[in-house]
Amino acid sequence: MSDVLYRLSNVTQCYGGKTVLDVSDFSISKGAIVGLAGHNGSGKSTMMRILAFLESPASGEIFYDGKRVDVANTDLRREVSLLTQEPYLLKRTVGRNVAYGLELRGADNIESTVRDSLNMVGLDPDLFMSRQWYELSGGEAQRVAFAARLAINPRVLLLDEPTASLDRESTLLIREAAAKVRDKCGTTLVIVSHDQSWLEEVSDVICRFSMGTIKQ
Amino acid sequence: MKKINVLLSTLAILTLLVAPGLVKASDFLMMATTTSTANTGLLDDLAPKFQKETGIELRWTAVGTGKALKMGQNCDVDVLMVHAPAAEQKYVDMGALKDRREVMYNDFVIIGPASDPAGVKGLPVVDALKTIAAQKAAFVSRGDNSGTNKKEISLWKVAGMAVPDKDTWYIQTGQGMLKSITVAEERDGYIMTDRGTYIKYEANKNGSPELKVLVEGDKTLFNQYSVLAVNPEKCKSAKYELATKFSEWMASPKTQKEIANFKLLGKKLFIPNAK
Amino acid sequence: MDFIANGFLHAFVLLFGGDPETYSAIFTTLAVSTVSISISLIIGAPLGFLLGYHNFRGKKFLRTFVDSMLSFPTVVIGLLVYAFLSRRGPLGEMGLLFTIPGIAIGQALLGLPIVIAMMATAVEALDQRLKNTLLTLGAAHSQILRTTLWEARYSLALAAAAAYGRIVSEIGISMMVGGNIKWHTRTITTAIALETGKGEFSMGIALGMVLMIIAFAVNFSMSGIKKRAGQ
Repeated sequence: MSDVLYRLSNVTQCYGGKTVLDVSDFSISKGAIVGLAGHNGSGKSTMMRILAFLESPASGEIFYDGKRVDVANTDLRREVSLLTQEPYLLKRTVGRNVAYGLELRGADNIESTVRDSLNMVGLDPDLFMSRQWYELSGGEAQRVAFAARLAINPRVLLLDEPTASLDRESTLLIREAAAKVRDKCGTTLVIVSHDQSWLEEVSDVICRFSMGTIKQ
Repeated sequence: MKKINVLLSTLAILTLLVAPGLVKASDFLMMATTTSTANTGLLDDLAPKFQKETGIELRWTAVGTGKALKMGQNCDVDVLMVHAPAAEQKYVDMGALKDRREVMYNDFVIIGPASDPAGVKGLPVVDALKTIAAQKAAFVSRGDNSGTNKKEISLWKVAGMAVPDKDTWYIQTGQGMLKSITVAEERDGYIMTDRGTYIKYEANKNGSPELKVLVEGDKTLFNQYSVLAVNPEKCKSAKYELATKFSEWMASPKTQKEIANFKLLGKKLFIPNAK
Repeated sequence: MDFIANGFLHAFVLLFGGDPETYSAIFTTLAVSTVSISISLIIGAPLGFLLGYHNFRGKKFLRTFVDSMLSFPTVVIGLLVYAFLSRRGPLGEMGLLFTIPGIAIGQALLGLPIVIAMMATAVEALDQRLKNTLLTLGAAHSQILRTTLWEARYSLALAAAAAYGRIVSEIGISMMVGGNIKWHTRTITTAIALETGKGEFSMGIALGMVLMIIAFAVNFSMSGIKKRAGQ
C-alpha cells in the first residue's frame, strides 16, 4: 500500500471551449493537509469539485487510493465531502441537517454523532438541534454545514474558502475544528483560502494555482 | 410527516363522502329546462310535491333553450320543459324528442316610462312597435340572442318591419333582463320583458317603478311551455316511463291548479293550459 | 346600492342560521374542490417536477404550452369535458355528467397547468447548490430525487393554494358539467349565478362573502408556508 491517496495525471477541464484547469501531475498523500492558493478564477474551485467527484474532467486520469476512477459512483463519493463558501442548508432543523448524511448511510447512533459534530464546531446541541434553517446567522449556518460533513467522517474533507465571509468567532471555530479532525480521525484535508497566514499555519504543503496550472 | 397523515386521512374521508355520488340512484328524473322556470322558483315549489306524490326525485338543470334541446338530443337528460314551440317541433321531427305536451304559458309585456312619450298604452303589440319606430322613441333590446331576445325579434317581424339594428333609438345591451330594464329606465325607453322579471323589478322598486306595463294580454306575447320526453328509441339510458309520469302529473288538474296558484312576490305568473 | 350592505348581513344570516341550501352548496363546493385539487396535485406535482428537474429536447416548447394552458377559459374546459362525459360522448357510459366527480375532472384539468407550471418553476429556481450539497453528503440518485422533492414542498403548497383559489372560484365548469342541480351539484359559484339571474343581488353577495371566507381560511393557513418558501 502506497501512502498516495490521490494522483492526477494530465487532467484538464473545459467550460464552453475554454480550458480552466490543466494539471499534468499532482498527488495528495494520505492524512496530509494540502493548501491551495491562487487568484480568483485560477482553477482552484474546479479542482476541488473534481477531487470531490462532483465533476468528471474533460481528459486525463484520476487515481484514488490506487484505483483508476472511471465513473464516480455513490460509494466513492461517500469517501469525500466538500464544504464551499456559501453552503446550502436543507429546509429542516439543524439536527436533521447534520443527520442527513448519516441517514443516507443508514448509520447507527445518529443522535450522538450529530451532538458530537455540533460540539466540534462550537454549537451547543441542546440549543441548536431543534432550530430551523432560517433561524441561523451566516456564521452559524456555515458551522452547521461543516458539522454535517464532520458527522459522516469522510476520508477526505475539501474546504473551499470555508471562512471567507464569516465573523471572527466562526472563523476561529472552523479553523480549530479543521485542525482537530486530522489529529483525531486521520482525515486528509484540502483547503482553499485567500488567507495566506492560515494556509501556512495549517498546511503540510501549499500549491499555487495560476491560469489553471499548478506551480508547486 | 404528521401533516401528510392528516392530509391523507382528510382525503380518505372526503372520498367516502363523495363516493355515494358515484352510485346512481335510479329513481330520479333528470330534466333540462330554461332559466325562466328555475329563476322564478316554480320548480322549487313543484318538485317536492311531485316527489311526495310519485316518489320520483326531480333534478333539473337550467340552461338556455337551445342548450336544453341539445342536451335532450345528446341523451344527457330524460325530460325537457322549454318554451320554443318551433324549435321543439324540429327536434320532435328529428325523432330526438317525443310526446310534446303543452302545460302552461306566461306572457311578455312591453313596459315604458309612465309618461308614455310615444303613446302606445293599450295598443296591440304590432301597432305599439310601429308607433315606437315611427317616433324613434328609445327601445332597449337585450341583443344577446336569448329566448327573450328571439321573441322580441319575432315581434318586429310579425309587425311586418325590418328588425332594427343600427338605428340610434334601438339600444342593444347584450346583458340580462334585469340589467337591460335598468338601461331602459335610464334612457327613458321602452323594453319588452317577461312578466316574472318585471314583477322582480317592481318589487325592487318597492312597488313604484319608473317603467310601467303599457302593452299586455296580446296573444302574440304569450310564451308557451311544453314538456317533452327524450325518445327512448334514440337514447337507451332515457327514463321514458318516469318522464311520462312527470308529463302526466304536470297536466293533471291538481298540478294545473298549483301552477295557477304559484305566486312570485305575491303575483301570479303562469297560466296553466294543458289539454 | 343597499344590496351590498344587505348582502353582508345576509351572509351572516345564511351562515349562522344554518340555511340548508347554503350549506349544501358549501359542502358541494368543498367536496368538489378537494377532489379536484387532489387530482391536480397527484398528477401535476410529479409532472411539474420532472419538467423542472430534467433537461430534454422540446422542454422549452412544453413549458410554453403549459404556460398557455393557464389562460384556458373555464367555459371551454367545461364544454370539452361535457363533450366527453355526455351520454353521446366517448365517456358517456360512465354516467359522470351532472355529478360531483364529473365536475372534479373538469376542475382538475383547470388546476393541472397551474400546479405543473408553478412546480416546474419552483424546481428550476431551487438552488443549484442543492444538488452538489446532496451529492457531497453522499446521496444516491434516488435519494437526491426524494430530497429535492421534499425541498420543494413549500413551493408545492403555494402551487396548491394558487390552484385551489382558481378551482374554488371557477363557474364555467361547474355550470356546464355539473348543471347547477339543487342539492346535488349546486356549488357556491353556480348558486351565485342563479341568484344574480333571479335578481337576488344581496343573496349573490352573501354567497360571494361565504366564498371569500373559505378563500381567506385557505390563505390564512398558507401564510406561514408562503414565508418559508422564500427562505
